[in-house]
Amino acid sequence: MTLQSVQESPAAEAGTTRQDVPREVSSRVWRTLDPRKVSALYVLLVIVVIFSIWVPDTFLQVATVRQVLNSNAVIGLAALSLAIPLAARVFDLSFAFTMSLSGVTAAHFIADKDWPVWLAVGAALLVALLVGVINAVVVVIMRVDSMIGTLATGSIIQAFITYVTNELPITNAKLFGTFSDIGQKDIGGFILPVYYVLAIAAVTWFVMEHTPLGRRIYATGFNMEAARLTGIKTKRIQFCSLLASAVVAGWAGVVLAAVLGTGSPTAGTPYLLPAFAAAFLGATQIKPGRFNARGTVLGVVTLGAGITGLSLATAPTWAANMFTGIVLIAALATTTVQRKPKTPGAGWRSRLRRS
Amino acid sequence: MDEVDTGQHQLSGDLPVLSLGNVSKTFAGTQALESVDLDIRAGEVHALVGQNGSGKSTLIKLLAGYHQPDPGSVARYNGEEFHLGQRDTSGFSHIRFVHQDLGLVLEMSATENLALSAGFITGTSGRVHWKEQEERTKASLARLGVDLDIRKPLGAATPVERTIVAIAAALTGWESGRGLLVLDEPTAVLPHTEVDRLLEIVRGIQRLGASVLYVSHRLDEIFKIADRVTVLRDGRVVTTKETVGLNTQSLAELMVGERVDAAFRLARSPVDAEASVLAVRDLAGGTLRRLTASVAPGEILGIAGFTGSGSEVVPYLLAGARPATSGQVKLADGKWHPASRLRRSGFPLVPADRQREAAVADFTVAENLTLRVMESFSRGGALSAKREADVVREWIKKLQIKVANSEDSIMSLSGGNQQKVIMGRCLAADPSVLVLAEPTAGVDVGTRQAIYELIGGLADRGLAVVVTSTDTTDLIALCSRVIVLSRGEQCSELVGDAIDEHSLLAAMEAGTP
Repeated sequence: MTLQSVQESPAAEAGTTRQDVPREVSSRVWRTLDPRKVSALYVLLVIVVIFSIWVPDTFLQVATVRQVLNSNAVIGLAALSLAIPLAARVFDLSFAFTMSLSGVTAAHFIADKDWPVWLAVGAALLVALLVGVINAVVVVIMRVDSMIGTLATGSIIQAFITYVTNELPITNAKLFGTFSDIGQKDIGGFILPVYYVLAIAAVTWFVMEHTPLGRRIYATGFNMEAARLTGIKTKRIQFCSLLASAVVAGWAGVVLAAVLGTGSPTAGTPYLLPAFAAAFLGATQIKPGRFNARGTVLGVVTLGAGITGLSLATAPTWAANMFTGIVLIAALATTTVQRKPKTPGAGWRSRLRRS
Repeated sequence: MDEVDTGQHQLSGDLPVLSLGNVSKTFAGTQALESVDLDIRAGEVHALVGQNGSGKSTLIKLLAGYHQPDPGSVARYNGEEFHLGQRDTSGFSHIRFVHQDLGLVLEMSATENLALSAGFITGTSGRVHWKEQEERTKASLARLGVDLDIRKPLGAATPVERTIVAIAAALTGWESGRGLLVLDEPTAVLPHTEVDRLLEIVRGIQRLGASVLYVSHRLDEIFKIADRVTVLRDGRVVTTKETVGLNTQSLAELMVGERVDAAFRLARSPVDAEASVLAVRDLAGGTLRRLTASVAPGEILGIAGFTGSGSEVVPYLLAGARPATSGQVKLADGKWHPASRLRRSGFPLVPADRQREAAVADFTVAENLTLRVMESFSRGGALSAKREADVVREWIKKLQIKVANSEDSIMSLSGGNQQKVIMGRCLAADPSVLVLAEPTAGVDVGTRQAIYELIGGLADRGLAVVVTSTDTTDLIALCSRVIVLSRGEQCSELVGDAIDEHSLLAAMEAGTP
């Protein structure tokens, strides 16, 4: 099923066949380029080919690479904030609201209270951490299902933001300069947020794939009872994963406010779906079946490249969301099919177990 | 059952209700069933027995249509051939199943549960006629001679009431006359006091003319209820016999067979009973009400008892995976601590349900093996792939785990090898006490003896082992001492040669009413 599934994957849907990789390449390269593990890379290649033909003048430019990375850096941060709790099988739907909250908090302290930038950003991250604690208490200690629990806390956060801001964005000249540099400063053609993504992805990659802690996080997500009986503190892991998620989301919110140069009370919400899409697409890449940092970044870039290409080709406005949806379904459907033979009857067993 | 049946009502009484011929089933190279022949006569209660891994559950799943049989298998229902492994054939719809976990929705009432399996009685607008539905439920239950609150959620019902509702649901649409009801371990979760009530209902179904295929671990029940018994071992039918003329002892011998000698037991030299690496005093938690015991280095201590006796909780208490409600524990330091101390310093446990509680299906063999000992091969917080591979290689060799590639998923291994991986996970932490629950559940017979010998070898090197098992063969093979529990309390202790099938069953039975 594995090879066919790739052929039926977005590459085929986009109207081209999979690239033929020469058989004689060394096994190491072959393994890295294994289409079962990095199908998004091939989708990306197809995207590049399609748009190079469609809009050759505008797409095949260094500027396009810059635009893809620069305009998707915040999505990258948001998606990375999801990867850790998702690996431990905890959803954090509140992250988008946390982003709005931390952006508003930083802007508020700088614009209205004249705090120095570093202090205001610190306060914003602290507020985000507080949200993480609330999420963790609701989900891990009060045992509310994480999807519902964080939806609820997200709603409460939005209520709080509205109460404080009266739905008015915080704008002020003080937000330009040091603060806006956090999100806008250009180094080597890329804005700082691109480097934040790389740094956070590197840390996440190291922790998840090269430390005992990462192994324990995955074990918790895959089989919580087995992990618990092996002596892993599964509750503590889920608790801390929500804290980590909130802090990274808080940082993403600060960066977003800096990019926009304003503290908007609804800045984070548009990131809810793209970030989840990238995180889930990422879980089908590089380490299929595991939410992982490199896969998440690849997911963000793939989706971003497609959307950028569509906008350069002046495709209708609905095309971007359509593209995200199709890629996500195709990626998840093909990996689910790949994983089925490994656990025959798993669905049947788990259904029985629940009853 | 339905109109097909009425036509076949005049069939001769000699024609079996269900007839299986040459049924085989192979899973990824292992033969779970090998040319099984089975006839179930009209109106009989036919028991199916066999140890874990004998192929009982595979056979039931084939009948239920969850598995496809190998080619060449033949199945007839009332003489009419049907395809095993297909849920939509007429054969399937005439065989009714009550699986061990009953398949009920506990949040819903008896009426709703019956409606879920039998269909809702609705009006033209699609509205459910609950009144008719309730009457139908009452009638179904009355046929079984039971009267219970059909509006109460089943979660609030007693275990036997739930079983009865599941039976009623399975029998929906069946009037009387020929038919086959399969009961898979119906008494596994029932307290002993309620078993007789269930058996009475099974007899009632038999009186209505149906045949029952009765799967159970509890041999005593089989003599109370079954007319004939078929014994499965290693996927083959050993024999089909009238229960008259058999007894628990001879039936157990048929189940255990020659390959693992019923008399197989580890040859162990006596241990210093004074020494103790772990002792508990008045330990309680869950169904366990009181346990006082001590285990010495090199000793393999068995805890026996039926489900509900408390024996199934002991491993989880010792591992600190369930909280002890009272009692003390003496650890290696020789001091008595409150039993809650086990929550922090519990012993490595090989849990009873491998798929749910032990194996991480999405992990590789290597990742599963090293889950407890990752610190031993991490340097400065980072895992060393090379040192991990060394650890994995070492344990694969030590435990003789058959694995093509340690980077494959653990699910690619056979049950016995998966179990060895889980044992390796515990042993790699170099514990002084190893706790085993159902050490050979789902392990093929060939590997069982290897696992027994492995545990024996570990004990010879000074490891203390505490083992619980619902399979008495395990306890007989492994243990030099067995504590028998009943209703949460210690009722007797067997030592050395006194441990055999008969005395164990007798001791387990003795404490129950």
